[in-house]
Amino acid sequence: MATVRHGRRTWGLILLLILGLPGMAAAAEFQLKSDTLFRFFERHTNREKEFSIAPAYEYLQVDVGSSSEPGLSFHGYGWGRADLANDGYFEDDTAGEILYGYLEYRGKEANFNARLGRQYIFEGVANEAVDGLRLSTDLGRYFSASVYGGQSVALDSENGRDGDSIYGGRLAHHLKGWYDVGVSYKEIENENDLAEKMLGVDLGVYLPYGVGLYGFSSRNLDTDGWGEHSYELRFKLAGIDIRPYYQQFRYEDQFDTGANGAYPFRFLAETDEEIKVVGADATMKVGESWDFGVKAKNYDYDRRDDNTQYYSVLATWYADGRSSLGGEAGVMNGDAAEDDYVLLRAYAYWDRLPKLLPLSFLTGEVVWVDYREAIYDEDTSLFVSLGAGKRFLEDALEIKLSGDYSRDPYFDDEVKGMLTISYLLGRPN
Amino acid sequence: MTKTKIAIALTMIALLGLLAACAVLDGGRSLSFTHPSAADIGAKPKVCSGCHEGGEPIPFARFDHTPFFADNHRLEATQYEQTCRGCHQVSFCNDCHATRVELKPSDRNPTDNDRRMPHRGDYLSRHRIDGRTDPVSCFRCHGNPKAARTCAPCHGK
Repeated sequence: MATVRHGRRTWGLILLLILGLPGMAAAAEFQLKSDTLFRFFERHTNREKEFSIAPAYEYLQVDVGSSSEPGLSFHGYGWGRADLANDGYFEDDTAGEILYGYLEYRGKEANFNARLGRQYIFEGVANEAVDGLRLSTDLGRYFSASVYGGQSVALDSENGRDGDSIYGGRLAHHLKGWYDVGVSYKEIENENDLAEKMLGVDLGVYLPYGVGLYGFSSRNLDTDGWGEHSYELRFKLAGIDIRPYYQQFRYEDQFDTGANGAYPFRFLAETDEEIKVVGADATMKVGESWDFGVKAKNYDYDRRDDNTQYYSVLATWYADGRSSLGGEAGVMNGDAAEDDYVLLRAYAYWDRLPKLLPLSFLTGEVVWVDYREAIYDEDTSLFVSLGAGKRFLEDALEIKLSGDYSRDPYFDDEVKGMLTISYLLGRPN
Repeated sequence: MTKTKIAIALTMIALLGLLAACAVLDGGRSLSFTHPSAADIGAKPKVCSGCHEGGEPIPFARFDHTPFFADNHRLEATQYEQTCRGCHQVSFCNDCHATRVELKPSDRNPTDNDRRMPHRGDYLSRHRIDGRTDPVSCFRCHGNPKAARTCAPCHGK
């Protein structure tokens, strides 16, 4: 039954596209973006069979209508996969997904916005894909609001679930140059039973001397407890951007999201763990060519009664176009040896190659990790990636080839290859 | 959905429409939908505060793409989603944030190594440690049944 409903919803979305497109296409801007990926890798699995895997993916994005002027527009994006080797490696997986497909209306006044169809909602406590309607508008100079409702894509046809609904919204108060504060709400039902009910409060306070205080708290109204408090300061000192922060998560209230939950988080919800994170980032630009960054954070676990620290430093050098060189070092250091590792990463992106070379860009990357406690008798991993690309037709067509090598606790000598053909028809992004 | 819930939803929409009509009278906050392209302004903007010096309805300095911005943009995106959409199409966000993406971001775009995407390299081994250390960061992208299909082969449904 769930599959039938899933099919109906997919066909409903396609019908929405067919009905919505012609009316707009005549006078509107049009963009089609296609990424065709051909991957190849080998895999040994517990099905005691060696797979040579050669999937082809198509990522297709269609936009009809102006994104810079008020009016009606359509936006669609999805992917599909064909298993060219056809030897059963993907037998348990779907062959594609419509990530979004919605009609959008932008009003001339008050930032009014309406979206109908499959869409992703990032709003306060919401981080959800919804088949439904979302409305948002300013409410005068000091308030703005949004509401949404429909069916949850995450629950659609999963594990026999059916009859779901989701709705919520966010009300925000703004005082220009002083603060923004928002209250958000989300409720999900599954088979007419409550699956998840969350309340969120978000905050931005703009203090003198360029100091900002930002934060977010969420309360699980089903378990009646605060799942998250995350608050941070941002300020600039001697040209260095500094961001100290504090976060606190209570697993039961964070992870107990009813039917909308999944393993391994359901298990964690029952551990009664609480974690406090204290940390800081600092970044600095030196001239137009250099970025430097430092990060340090400490995780303090209540039930486990131990701590873990993570530190990293990075540096990036920029040149013409997209050319850049970068390096990063990170250290995870826990009370338990199994949590310790050292990570080193370096990359190069060489854009705008000399014209005598038949390529537009070259890329390279190395990631090396040393684990203090071996995983499956291996205590290091090495990842090397090389890539090259050529752009044609004033950059509308791009062909990229990449190859990856990995030697790590899970794979002895894994080699992966990918050919990507990207085509953009219409206005530039 | 019960009739009561439908009534509540319709009432909320009607109320929002009424308030929106009132908002038009007051002018509201002006916000450009689309940022000028790199071709229009001569270079791809990276640091918002380089041009936006403050005093605007949107605190653009918060959106400066510092080296750690990819790690820390959640609060900005959930408070000012429309500002992100000024430069990024939603498909850009969906490379990482979507209900069901089969390829991790660095596999989807292997030559975009300058974007400092998550899970680069041998993340299968590293996720055992990151998952113990900071499962909330996993939960934000893999916390619902469809998104957790990546986890299901080992962790179960």
